[in-house]
Amino acid sequence: MAVAAALSPHRKAFARLKAGLDARHQATLAERLTQADPTLLRTGFEALDQALGGGFVRGTIAVLEGESSSGRTAVAARLLAAGTAGGLAAVIDDGALYPPGLAAAGVRLERLLVMPAEDPLGAARAADILLRSHAFTIVLMPALKVKAALWARLAGLAHHAGALLFALGTEAGNELGYFSTARVRLRILKVHWTHASGPFSQLAGYEIQAEVVKNKRAAPGAGATISVRAA
Amino acid sequence: MMVVCVHVPSYRVEVAVREWAGVCNASAILADKLERGHAIDATPSARRQGVRIGMTLVQAQAAAPDATILVHDTDRCTQVWEDVLDALDQASPLIDTDTQGTAYLNMHGNAGMPQDWIAQVRAALGEIELPFRLGAASNKFTARAAAIIADGTVCEPGEEGRLVAPLGIGLLEIEPDLIARLEMLGITTLGELAALPHGPFVRRFGSRAARWHHHAQGLDPTPFLPRAHQLQIQACLYGEGSVQSEEQVYFALRILVGRVHEDLARLGKRAALLHLQIECENGDLRDVPIRIAQPTADPGMLFDLGRANVEGLRFDSPITGLRLQAAQLESGGIPATLFSGSDPDPQTVELALARLESALGNTPARARLTAGNRLESKFAYDRFVGVPASPPAQARPALPAPGATAALAPPQLRLVKVHEIDVVMVHDLPAFVGSPPQAVLQFAGPWRTDETWFERRIARDEYDVLLEDGTLHRIFLQRRNWYVRGTYD
Repeated sequence: MAVAAALSPHRKAFARLKAGLDARHQATLAERLTQADPTLLRTGFEALDQALGGGFVRGTIAVLEGESSSGRTAVAARLLAAGTAGGLAAVIDDGALYPPGLAAAGVRLERLLVMPAEDPLGAARAADILLRSHAFTIVLMPALKVKAALWARLAGLAHHAGALLFALGTEAGNELGYFSTARVRLRILKVHWTHASGPFSQLAGYEIQAEVVKNKRAAPGAGATISVRAA
Repeated sequence: MMVVCVHVPSYRVEVAVREWAGVCNASAILADKLERGHAIDATPSARRQGVRIGMTLVQAQAAAPDATILVHDTDRCTQVWEDVLDALDQASPLIDTDTQGTAYLNMHGNAGMPQDWIAQVRAALGEIELPFRLGAASNKFTARAAAIIADGTVCEPGEEGRLVAPLGIGLLEIEPDLIARLEMLGITTLGELAALPHGPFVRRFGSRAARWHHHAQGLDPTPFLPRAHQLQIQACLYGEGSVQSEEQVYFALRILVGRVHEDLARLGKRAALLHLQIECENGDLRDVPIRIAQPTADPGMLFDLGRANVEGLRFDSPITGLRLQAAQLESGGIPATLFSGSDPDPQTVELALARLESALGNTPARARLTAGNRLESKFAYDRFVGVPASPPAQARPALPAPGATAALAPPQLRLVKVHEIDVVMVHDLPAFVGSPPQAVLQFAGPWRTDETWFERRIARDEYDVLLEDGTLHRIFLQRRNWYVRGTYD
């Protein structure tokens, strides 16, 4: 007993050290996974990346869902910034694109192809051609209500091209939901202003609640709170 | 040999003035670049105001404040000059040109007198709007001198020395400081220079002086070197009937590409552009330029690009013939791209662009921000061409490092089609927006945007509003009406 009592402080110290190392390991696990895995595309929002198991997987379809003013475009802008940093990205634009905002988020506009397409079939065809070219790392398009066969085709093309096909919409339909690898539902929790309401105030940003509805890489249901702030 | 000289004084500035005819004053300065540029040429009007070649733009603008600054476009100058030479081919196939703005035509064998030749050359240049000056003489230097003396001057054989004698020594290609030295010695005209003894003059000023002395006497021993004619690689296919299906057109295109490829391979060339002409039964002739990002002679790629450009076309009547021409030829085999990094192959991007354009009828664009305008037109779209160069490593925006705090992520505005909305103001502040009305929980603004765009004045007050349903909008008041511009997302 005397020996055991003498070892106890050492064991305690060892346990403390192990707990510290484990905590550090847990905190950096997602980061290390991301760094080691070139198939992942990080959003840059650390909490969201952790919830997704490191980031969005290249070669798949991912969906960002949410009502109007839910922060979908802000997250998509970060992904486009990551995509244009080392390659080309494409946006199938339904007329809502605001390039100055994208530029402020770090998107290199000269490496961003904008394809206007308001007709759903036209948008799907544009996505088909863009993915088939194998030249674009990210293709952003509206979450269309089209046949499952079209999404199946796009999923296959995205897989072969190693590109991330991103769909933005209020809610993914059954067809898109089935063929997507990750679905993230977003909503704004809180809006930040620089001052109280009035002429001297400015929109400073907002906090977004992101819920991973579907994820084939990690367990779904994870949530994250991310902060979108102006410079 | 009789030579007709076609000379355009200040050719580069004349091309620039012609390009910017709508905005250019009579007085114009041609600069190499806008930022910290220098004057490389100027119109006579600007020269009279004191503008000299080599001045900085600040100095040139100080000398001629009302002058328009134009930037030199090398490609455009080359293109215009090629057009001029092609037009001159009608007058004589033997054309010698050493600098842009001056061409010599060997008229040996042409019927008529020198005045007739000048008329022929003038007729060949008919549609090109440049201030041409023509002169005829027995050699190139004297023909140029004749053109400079007066448009249409003809120097009879044996009169060369007398014609050039009164001209200044600036006509010779001599450095300005050497001209100054000659002038200090009392030699200001070609006649005075011609009177000098040949041997001592050459010993004093070097071997180049022999040529100056010859020129001053109206002689020009330099050989006449006709320009090489542009290589024409083209193939055409005309059937007896007309095609009935798309596949037949592609089949014909494949045959034409095969023939063009054979010619390219035989000559060791690559094409940077293809011109496809499609002729229809009703006489319509459709020109389809096929852009090639990287010059190639690969038949597969040439066919894919051709097909992608033809895919979206519609014709009113059946096609009866195709003609394919390879243009912008370059020497060499397979291009090697070094230091391309992770950039995709430009050819595949060009192929995707052609397919997009054909399939959707819209032009794939690249977003571009413009400075100095605060309204919707603060951004514009250009045609997306090629793959932009990768930025150097240090210039790339840094991606957020793992574990770092969130990087810049400003709220994003999604534009909507601008439409009128109802806004209820309480104490001059927006209180309810939309129909049915939503209470405004918080707002920021107004920001005054006041611009004069041409003659229509635009003034608006913009607000960001947070409504009770949780949506964030950008609205604006203009001429007592409220409009919604976009939604934050």
